[in-house]
Amino acid sequence: MNLELSAEEQEFREEARSWLRDNLPTEERPPEGQEMREFDLAWQRTLFDGGWAGINWPVEYGGRGLTDIQQMIWYEEFAKADPPFTLNNSCTFVGNLHGGPTIIVNGDETQKSHYLPRILKGEDVWCQGFSEPGAGSDLASLNTKAVIDGDELVVTGQKTWTSYAHVADVQELLVRTDPDAPKHKGITWVICDMRTPGIEIREIQTMSHVTDFCEVFYDEVRIPLTNVVGGLNNGWRTAMSTLSFERGTAFMADQVELAATVENLIEEARVRTGPDGRRPAIADDEIARRLATVRSEVAALRAMTITGISRNARTGVPGPEGSIVRLFHGELHQRVYQLALEIIGSDSLRLTPVDGDGVWTGPYLQSFAYTIGGGTTDIQRNIVGERVLGLPRA
Amino acid sequence: MDLLPTPEQEEIVTTVRSLLERDFNLNTLAERDGADSVVDRSLWAKCAELGWFGLGMDESLGGVGYTLAEEALLFTEIGAHATPGPFLATVLGARLAALSGAHDIAGAILSGESIVALAEPHTPGAASASPTVSGTFRVTDHGSADLILVMVGTSSALINASDMVAEPMASIDLLVPIAVGTVSDVSPIAGFEENPGLALRANILVAAELAGIATATAEQSTQYAKDREQFGTPIGAFQAVKHRCADMAVRAEAANSLVRYGSLAVLEGLTDANFHAHAARSLAATYAVTNSQINVQNHGGIGFTWEHTAHRYVTRSRVRSQTLGTVQSHLQSLLDQPTPS
Ligand SMILES: Cc1cc2nc3c(=O)[nH]c(=O)nc-3n(C[C@H](O)[C@H](O)[C@H](O)COP(=O)(O)OP(=O)(O)OC[C@H]3O[C@@H](n4cnc5c(N)ncnc54)[C@H](O)[C@@H]3O)c2cc1C
Repeated sequence: MNLELSAEEQEFREEARSWLRDNLPTEERPPEGQEMREFDLAWQRTLFDGGWAGINWPVEYGGRGLTDIQQMIWYEEFAKADPPFTLNNSCTFVGNLHGGPTIIVNGDETQKSHYLPRILKGEDVWCQGFSEPGAGSDLASLNTKAVIDGDELVVTGQKTWTSYAHVADVQELLVRTDPDAPKHKGITWVICDMRTPGIEIREIQTMSHVTDFCEVFYDEVRIPLTNVVGGLNNGWRTAMSTLSFERGTAFMADQVELAATVENLIEEARVRTGPDGRRPAIADDEIARRLATVRSEVAALRAMTITGISRNARTGVPGPEGSIVRLFHGELHQRVYQLALEIIGSDSLRLTPVDGDGVWTGPYLQSFAYTIGGGTTDIQRNIVGERVLGLPRA
Repeated sequence: MDLLPTPEQEEIVTTVRSLLERDFNLNTLAERDGADSVVDRSLWAKCAELGWFGLGMDESLGGVGYTLAEEALLFTEIGAHATPGPFLATVLGARLAALSGAHDIAGAILSGESIVALAEPHTPGAASASPTVSGTFRVTDHGSADLILVMVGTSSALINASDMVAEPMASIDLLVPIAVGTVSDVSPIAGFEENPGLALRANILVAAELAGIATATAEQSTQYAKDREQFGTPIGAFQAVKHRCADMAVRAEAANSLVRYGSLAVLEGLTDANFHAHAARSLAATYAVTNSQINVQNHGGIGFTWEHTAHRYVTRSRVRSQTLGTVQSHLQSLLDQPTPS
């Protein structure tokens, strides 16, 4: 138990800080479409060239082979550099944070050496084709089917809520390869090239006005069997590994950024007039109390993130405990923006983008996603109850 | 950077746990319910022998030579077992005496010979600890105390128990005797006008005890949810119960992580040590109270009995939430802190 950074970690922090000073983009991120894709990929490439991509990825696939603590330090420095966009709000999210890590753990050598460097260099955008209209929380009931034809899988069915499908090159796709097996047994995790004939993508407008998820239709889409990751009909295990990354470490950047958001909100409360129309908002007892409470909670969140890293360092891979942090974070994220809308008074009626300087209402609308995506809070509570605490299933 | 106990720290925790389970059994201690002292002198001497009172104190001061981190782990166990007794006043009193050069007094506290009670202002502004001790105080564990540690803001003093006229009040927690005492113009036998270090450590230790309560109640509920069956199945299979248990585990993890972080921030002298101490103290109090209340609900009728220990956590968390500050006062202090580095 210690908070000390090793000399190497300290040096890493300083290196990150000075690199960010010189290389952080100043322009805002285009919110949509091809422009967004190009912006995100260009930034990914800049990160790669600067040595800041895949910080905790193995060196042989283009990463730096450093620790999760160093990854966290990087996020902290990024958040402190006052960036014009949030780090995870990027179409490179899936590749960097759960597609790639899944391949690192479960992929074969050809898959690793082909896909991993392309993610880090900003050459591929990944998306996640797990959810279907009939299979959300009950993911294992998915029924997009794949039949083996020679050395190919032929996929027919539909996925939905697929973030960034409209700008993606590659997809982590879950399909049913054995309809007769029990539902967890007949699933396969496969890499799908989004340009394969037979794929149709329809964008979906979201409540936060950003179109970043889609419906994806598959009509006899042919995928080579060599794209299967973790073995045919063994996809549930591979998917659990993907979800452990998605629930465990993928939101570290958001968690770090939330601390900065709370500090900005405290500043807003100092300069804005409060509910009595005379004194600053922070002079209002209830607002002060709620601000201090979220301040203590983001401090706890950071400590929980470090506890999680410490645990992973002992066990090697993220365990179900990741759901504890994910659950706490999702609900805290929402509380922060709900409080923000009360503090900014009539400005809470002015629509802003989801990303950028001094924006509150856009992120508020976006915050609803934090207790749904990657498994709803109800599902996270089930996981904590059953897999962390060992309570019986219903 | 690492927030999990080392094997050596785990060993300390295991030792503490086994003594608390064996010798501080709550059903046995219930004999002392409502008494003006819960201290068993021979047991107290045993804790002293194990080095608990000077665990986080330098060997040069007569301590064991571990740090605030280990001391916080000890207090988490004390909280988890709802162990009554003047542990906080003892640990802080020994440190105060040693730091002010009163080595005899420090030695008597560390050996378990002198029992120390804790006094804090009965109402804000009602008392002072420096240069002399004066005013109306809330005193805990007054009954068999030889000394009283008086803490008012960042000033602190030790006085003889005989210098206080104390009037016991009915305490919500029958194992934490509380009295209202008055002191007029007494010169301390040891004291500091400005000792933020002690107040800071106190915040961490109280927070640690509260985090222990949040943890133990989460575990108690989870265990009961596995054991108790209704409708032909363990009640933990019901989502309403399961989700309450999950939320309790989240609160416990949050409180423990933040307390450990806070103890290290203080220990390593970080500039944001105060920030984290106030954050830990307010969050742990809120979560301890919340978890201990839900724990009663999860137990149904048995949870409402005196025999079951669930109520001990309810009242202990209430008492400790108001030991050396309140949730509100610590939240206010937290908000006054600059942005952490
Ligand atoms: C912004 C965003 C991005 C997303 N991106 C992707 C993506 O890229 N790829 C992808 O595959 N998916 C994605 N998703 C989908 C997401 O994983 C699902 O929405 C989520 O798992 C919930 O499934 P559902 O929408 O079908 O809701 P349902 O499962 O129908 O849930 C409806 C309600 O019922 C509750 N509920 C359901 N089952 C239970 C239960 N057993 N116990 C208690 N309550 C229950 C839920 O908690 C919820 O409140 C995204 C979602 C969002 C919001």
